[in-house]
Amino acid sequence: MNLTIRDCLHGFRGFAATFGSFQLFSIRLLPYIPRIFARPLLITEQLYTIGALSLVLIMFGGLFVGMVLVLQSFTTLAEFGSTDSVGAFASQALVRELGPVVAALLFAGRAGSSVASEVGLMRATDQIAAMELMAVDPMERIIAPRVIAGVISVPLLAAIFSAMGIFGGYLVATQVLGVDTGAFWGHINVRVELGQDVVNGFMKSVVFGISASLMAVFEGYHAQPTAAGISNAATRTVVITSVWILLLDFIMTGLTMAKV
Amino acid sequence: MLARNAIANLVEVDDVHFSRGERKIFSGLDMQIPRGQVTAVLGPSGAGKTTLLNLITGQLTPDKGAVLFDGRVVCPCSHDRLYAIRRQMGVLFQQGALLTHLSVFGNVAFPLREHTKLPEELIRQIVLMKLHAVGLRTAWKLMPSQLSGGMVRRVALARALVMDPKLIIYDEPFAGLDPISMGVIVRLIRQTNDTLGITSIVVTHDVEETGRLADWSILLAGGKVAASGTPDELRRAKSDLVRQFMLGSSDGPVPFHRPGPSYAEQLLSMAHA
Repeated sequence: MNLTIRDCLHGFRGFAATFGSFQLFSIRLLPYIPRIFARPLLITEQLYTIGALSLVLIMFGGLFVGMVLVLQSFTTLAEFGSTDSVGAFASQALVRELGPVVAALLFAGRAGSSVASEVGLMRATDQIAAMELMAVDPMERIIAPRVIAGVISVPLLAAIFSAMGIFGGYLVATQVLGVDTGAFWGHINVRVELGQDVVNGFMKSVVFGISASLMAVFEGYHAQPTAAGISNAATRTVVITSVWILLLDFIMTGLTMAKV
Repeated sequence: MLARNAIANLVEVDDVHFSRGERKIFSGLDMQIPRGQVTAVLGPSGAGKTTLLNLITGQLTPDKGAVLFDGRVVCPCSHDRLYAIRRQMGVLFQQGALLTHLSVFGNVAFPLREHTKLPEELIRQIVLMKLHAVGLRTAWKLMPSQLSGGMVRRVALARALVMDPKLIIYDEPFAGLDPISMGVIVRLIRQTNDTLGITSIVVTHDVEETGRLADWSILLAGGKVAASGTPDELRRAKSDLVRQFMLGSSDGPVPFHRPGPSYAEQLLSMAHA
């Protein structure tokens, strides 16, 4: 029993130390953020590596999620005779929730783990130490561009995810389930609101982008310089970011609903 | 006196104390690195050679005492001042530490692109000149993964030289090299030191190569300088510790067996347990 309490205390202390270290790291990074905009090429390189290279996964993900969403919701809506609303239902779900959340989760799995491994390997092979000794600050040269690129990429990827989802839903609804094309788009036009749905979804994806990018660079930067350490950093990035995104989504949705 | 020392010595380690947790690494370390010479820092594993390197480059801060580079305190000091000092140093890591996403050319050009606003044409000429000096001008297009261990260190040397530093620190430059690559590195260290008039610190435990290369040798042991002098003087030293290290004897002041209870005592205590 004593051992269990001691273990819990030890675990909590470890969590508090890591959380504090994460906050200090984020605060330390702040002054580098405006400076890095003076070197847009560094951001562009990272936008390609972590943003553009995630595009195929995001597009496929969005397409199939949209298709499944329409298939699943169609039966329920048919019971109430509102099958024409299937497009609006799927679009709202995608723009408000699934787009930002699933795109951020896929981003964490594809780009977050890759960034954590890359930065961790740079640490393990003394590349970061070499930069510091060349009087080049790795926070500016390595970390800041990756964070900025992540923050820009996630909202764009979420938008593409939602667009592909709606397109997938459209294909299934009109070509398989026989929903009228005009009714499909008409309901979307009426029900999906810019402020309530699109802006809220966008805000969520920005917050998820910040969380996913910061966690990836933090884990990579603090990875143990061993093969197991780098692998752990990649795993921790995906696990912690995923839990964090789902928790933040719940809090942000709660806040939005409270306003309504 | 301090000003005169600063002229004669590029690096001065003044009464430095440093511990890692409970373990004391240095307790009152004093040493001077003379300007314009190749100084070898020798010592058995765990003597604190790499810690000393980290103290000189400001990666670690001494608990007490100071490290001076060209008359200026290295650490503690502001981020900008530390980076200004580091711009006058070049460090050659044991494994080269080349940036793996950049080519040989990109690696050597990296400090120039980061610290200067030189036109690309001039950068190209400087980089090719430095690569020519290490014999790898024709390898400029290759990626680090396509290079051998010796070539990686030569590229890293070109990168360390590209900003024309006052000091170059070599961390175990001979580890894991074949005799030809080792000969090349020895020649390059000596040549760059003499032709460019820089100061070199070679952190190593290779006694034989040190004899061929160094003007001055410092032997670290027990957190202090155990001996210093020319490599010949060290070889003729009377101290048992220096002789054990220079001759590579397995037993002596640094014992073969880890200190602790005798074999018989341990066997008996384990039998009773």
